[in-house]
Amino acid sequence: MLAAREKRAEFERQALVHTDALYGAAYRLTRNPRDAEDLVQDALLRAYRFWDSFEQDSNCKAWLLRIVTNTFINEYQRKKRSREVLDAASAEQDATDGVLVHADASDRQTPERALLDRSVSDDVQRSLDALPDDFRTAVVLCDVQGLSYKEIAEIMHTPVGTVMSRLFRGRKLLAAALREFATTQGYVRDEAPKPGETADPKDKTIDLDAYRAQKSREGSS
Amino acid sequence: MSLCASIDTLSMAYLDDELAAEERRELELHLVDCASCKLHLDAERADLQLLRVALVPPPAPDTVKAKIARALDSEDQRAARAGRKRWARYALPATAVAAAAAALLLFVGIGMKQPHTQAIATVTHEVVRQQTRPLPLEVQGASTGSWLREHFAPVEPPQFDEPGIQLIGARATAVQGHDAALLRYLVNVGINRVSLTAVLIVDVRQDMLNGGEAVRIGNLTLHLADADGQPVVTYVDDKRIGYVFTSERMTMKELLSIVVTSDLIGRAQQQLR
Repeated sequence: MLAAREKRAEFERQALVHTDALYGAAYRLTRNPRDAEDLVQDALLRAYRFWDSFEQDSNCKAWLLRIVTNTFINEYQRKKRSREVLDAASAEQDATDGVLVHADASDRQTPERALLDRSVSDDVQRSLDALPDDFRTAVVLCDVQGLSYKEIAEIMHTPVGTVMSRLFRGRKLLAAALREFATTQGYVRDEAPKPGETADPKDKTIDLDAYRAQKSREGSS
Repeated sequence: MSLCASIDTLSMAYLDDELAAEERRELELHLVDCASCKLHLDAERADLQLLRVALVPPPAPDTVKAKIARALDSEDQRAARAGRKRWARYALPATAVAAAAAALLLFVGIGMKQPHTQAIATVTHEVVRQQTRPLPLEVQGASTGSWLREHFAPVEPPQFDEPGIQLIGARATAVQGHDAALLRYLVNVGINRVSLTAVLIVDVRQDMLNGGEAVRIGNLTLHLADADGQPVVTYVDDKRIGYVFTSERMTMKELLSIVVTSDLIGRAQQQLR
């Protein structure tokens, strides 16, 4: 029992202090406070269950962010689909005999929740909506959480070069979308695109390794 | 070489503080001479600052923190219960353990106090006990499906149409005198690969796996139960094949979310036609 209490205290001290940061990442990844709540709660519960596999003295926040991101990548679509199935079943059952179908009734959509979901869908969230998941994840980990390319590469199981190009394209698309919203809202004047911005960011090569390789070739010749 | 040609890469890595000290110095020297690269980098810096300000998320609401605390509380209780039951399993004969577990489950009402909650079936208990035994799998990998069809026709392994769930193998077993196949899956749960067991039991009565809370999804009636702190989902199809899904390291919510994405729902609908 004592061990259990110590584990809880240790987890609160090292992990729960990052709840705001994790919620922030979850909020930007899911673009919706309801899913963000679920994601951060699931991830922390999972972290707690696997707390003995956390290497003390390593970066706890990065470890937790990895769990949040992987939970999002691996299970978000699965959960979304199962929720659709369960919601449909529960609507059907409600219409027949009213027996509770879903073990977790709090998951179900209420009018307040629907309102909450809508009221926060601000410009930033709408811009993020338009991004592919991979780009959004890279941008959130770098620009919301301040992780390094290497840390992001480890979380996303991709080479650093892929992280850089996702980050580059994600930022360009996001900046363009934000500018567009700001322009239509009258926050900024509609300016001509900056030089170099007319080209599709897809066409640009972002590759630090290639730059370094070429550099060392030139240096040795 | 001209740094101008790589300015997109270099300015990005520079602003993210990812350049080596020497690369950094080289770029800074270049910026003194090259007005166009300097302009580019300044514009990128301004964009990045705007972007980062726009992306600052709200803090977690207090309700979320309270929910997390409650979730950890029930996880503590679950772990304590599982610990007690594991100890009891060694200390008492199996039948007494099953009876005690059933009584305990009735007492705690599976934590949900559902009016339809029933004692967990003996068969289900037997399965949960069996899957903890460290016996080797008889067949592994791609041939698992054909092995199952050969020995247990018309049983088909439940299929999951996503790459995060992988059937790794199976072995034959018997549950309360019924032939059964134990299937082992690996599932991505967060950063961990977690084992999921499905036991398929041949020729069982419709009510043999009842117990816990009944949940209807389309034409499928699943039973959700808690055995020794471990979630169990059961189902009997119209060919009298019983399915028992369980996992030592998942919550009921996680287990259920996986089971409902299997092809059992599709099969149940086909049977109706």
